[in-house]
Amino acid sequence: MTGPASTPIHTPATEARYDAEILIIGSGAGGATTAALLAEAGFDVLVVEEGDWVEQGSVVSFSLEQMDRQYRSGGVTVALGLPSIAYTEGRCAGGGTEVNSGLYRRPPAELLERWRSQYHIRDLDPDEMYVIADEIESAINVTTVPGAVSAPSAVLRRGADALAWQNSESPRWMTYPPGGSASSGQRQSMTRTYLPRAQRAGARLLTQCRVRKLSISGTSASDADVVLADGSPGRIHFRHVFVCGGAIHTPALLQRSGLRERIGDTLAVHPTVKLAARFAEPINIPDDVPVHQVKEFAPEISFGGSASHPGLVALALADNWGEFSHALHEWERVCVYYAAITSEGKGRVKAIPGLRDPLVTYNLTARDKQLLRSGLSRLTLLMLAAGADEVYPSYHNAPVVRSSADIASLQRSFAATKATVMTVHLCSTVPIGEHPRCAAGSFGQVRGMRNVWVNDASMLPDAPGVNPQGSVMAFAIRNAQRFIETERPHG
Amino acid sequence: MDDLALPAATVITGSAGWLGRALVHHLATDAGDHARDGEVRALVLNQTEADAVHAVSARARAIIGSVTDPDSLERLLVGLPPDTDVIHTAGVIHPAKVSDFFAVNAGGAANVAAAVQRAGLRRMVHVSSNSPFGTNASDEDTFRAHEPYNPYLGYGESKMQGELAVLDQVQAGLDAVIVRPPWFYGPLQPPRQTTFFRLVRGGRFPKFGAGMQRRSMVYVDNLVQGIVRAELTPGPSGRAYWIADERAYTVNEIIETVGRALTDEGYEVKPGAMALPVIAGRVAERADRIIQSTGRYQQQLHVMGEMAHSIACDIGAAQTELGYRPAVALYEGMRRSIQWCRREGLEL
Repeated sequence: MTGPASTPIHTPATEARYDAEILIIGSGAGGATTAALLAEAGFDVLVVEEGDWVEQGSVVSFSLEQMDRQYRSGGVTVALGLPSIAYTEGRCAGGGTEVNSGLYRRPPAELLERWRSQYHIRDLDPDEMYVIADEIESAINVTTVPGAVSAPSAVLRRGADALAWQNSESPRWMTYPPGGSASSGQRQSMTRTYLPRAQRAGARLLTQCRVRKLSISGTSASDADVVLADGSPGRIHFRHVFVCGGAIHTPALLQRSGLRERIGDTLAVHPTVKLAARFAEPINIPDDVPVHQVKEFAPEISFGGSASHPGLVALALADNWGEFSHALHEWERVCVYYAAITSEGKGRVKAIPGLRDPLVTYNLTARDKQLLRSGLSRLTLLMLAAGADEVYPSYHNAPVVRSSADIASLQRSFAATKATVMTVHLCSTVPIGEHPRCAAGSFGQVRGMRNVWVNDASMLPDAPGVNPQGSVMAFAIRNAQRFIETERPHG
Repeated sequence: MDDLALPAATVITGSAGWLGRALVHHLATDAGDHARDGEVRALVLNQTEADAVHAVSARARAIIGSVTDPDSLERLLVGLPPDTDVIHTAGVIHPAKVSDFFAVNAGGAANVAAAVQRAGLRRMVHVSSNSPFGTNASDEDTFRAHEPYNPYLGYGESKMQGELAVLDQVQAGLDAVIVRPPWFYGPLQPPRQTTFFRLVRGGRFPKFGAGMQRRSMVYVDNLVQGIVRAELTPGPSGRAYWIADERAYTVNEIIETVGRALTDEGYEVKPGAMALPVIAGRVAERADRIIQSTGRYQQQLHVMGEMAHSIACDIGAAQTELGYRPAVALYEGMRRSIQWCRREGLEL
């Protein structure tokens, strides 16, 4: 069952033809966990990944180079709408887990209960989910930071405490060297955890392999048309396929393969707006993000810290460059923070024949826009309470905020259509459940298909209101366990 | 911590108003919940108002003047001992023109705060409003003790400026506490509140959408208690508290509860409400905005515009820090209010 120790961890896809019992498309939080469980259960697993394998430490975390090498489209893609929403997706072995903030939240019990009842998800038992969560937290070493939190994190805590707003340190899946500081963590991403585990159990991983479409006949898919590392076409034959390409590319692939019913119609995101805040003392830590989150207004509104290397500080100041640009000279004293909301808007992912990337649209509701205004204003108040000298909200022609009275003019002049709204949490394009509006069954089996499964952020019924990686992994493992029970190989 | 000692004297501005008279009743009559010895001075605009105050309490001393006239405030505060508290309730909510908002709510608060500071009195309780904070961003949202300003039109802007003027004096050494009541109700209500009962009786109270907007309300005696708790609780200057009933009510619940209170008081009530699409509330709000931008003020439009939103606040800080315990909730408060109207011979 365990492969030889010398098995190369990853190989670019070069052969015109591969065969696998289980094909897993995508190697992020969903694909990697699925691969590990199925390989360990004795299935013959092949994982294909469109991106590259990038060794951790070879790229500076949260840097522009990282955006170039490990994100899709160099970092930012846009969901069209009023306003348009910029989003980012990982594209590398390990997917989003290689590049995200590394913050971990279990799916809250109320959320699981709501999903179970609203979407009719069968056998969704919070106790079982939390047994899985325990395993995950041990496998990826979910832990709080050693010693004192970083200065940007302390800002969130200090401001929230002054306002009596509930806040807490979000644990991360990191390991720290003995005596290490809060920012010395080594992320326990998929390339460090579940992908090596899958490999040890015999799974193969092909990088630079893009799946164009699945060949489907009746209720079965049999082959994947792929583009190999050198650009030439290839074919992978399989018995079962798990599509784990993320909330944009999973539905796009299914659509290109002819599966369109309810697929891609229910994109959910956590829209966020940002601000930069300048303090009297240096606080910026360019290669890490704050670990504190403010959950006083959750799930509707949450606050946290963003990556703040100088390039990203400049981006946060860009919406009113004339008034704000002076702050860039003092970037060591500036940090970027966000307010995220749970949106009632809905988006769509639509594969367009002839185009490589799907068309993504998202529309905020009137309520969403009010929440964004409220979130940005409250976050500004928090920054003042934390002692910020100046706050620069990220929207066109925003005022510099120095006092609580200035926030009134922020509220007056803010419009979501003037803001740089962005998101890093995309989900729910192939929601699971027995409810008629769900695109896949309770365990991820795509409606009407015998051997096509989704097992990534696409399956979450709607936006969870917390960092979703923990939810994605827990559901992926739950579904993989069910698959193993029902399809366990004989002998 | 022990309460501050009762002050040697108490000054109430806006004392002929709804809240002002309730304060005079509770502080300066034996029947009051917070009856106290010592002088109670009441600022009133004219002799008619002075008579109205004396009708509530014979021992209150009415002084004619205006918060917009600093000289009259000097006269109001002259000769008072240092341990005097000033409760500033004077304000306009439905004025003839928008500029009155600023003269009274902003300028008046600034004048009073400055006068109290100059006179070296013990503490000022400034009665503000929910209005500097606008409406909740969603019906699920609740205003916390600390919120960013988001003033709702002229009234909100003027009440915000009033708060800021008081806080400026706090920087200069004034001891002040801000109390923020939402929509209040109860005996001594002005005529517009009888309209409210009539609309409910007739099944014509405007309800936007599903009526799930949440509204914090405060029974006037609860508010008086909150004001007295803010006055007498030691603590740093510049604090602000929401003072409302225990919890917010949905619009549906308000209509249903008031209907029940009216029925139980023997009135015939036509069930139902005037169902309006949410968009009508938005239209009213926009119209209100436009009219106010021309310096005029139209009460119905203003109330309509606000009714389509939630205004819910969390009184937790007042409960834990001030020991505020709202004793009356909507049904009981509305029954008392209806009984008062009947005693006053007001047609509902």
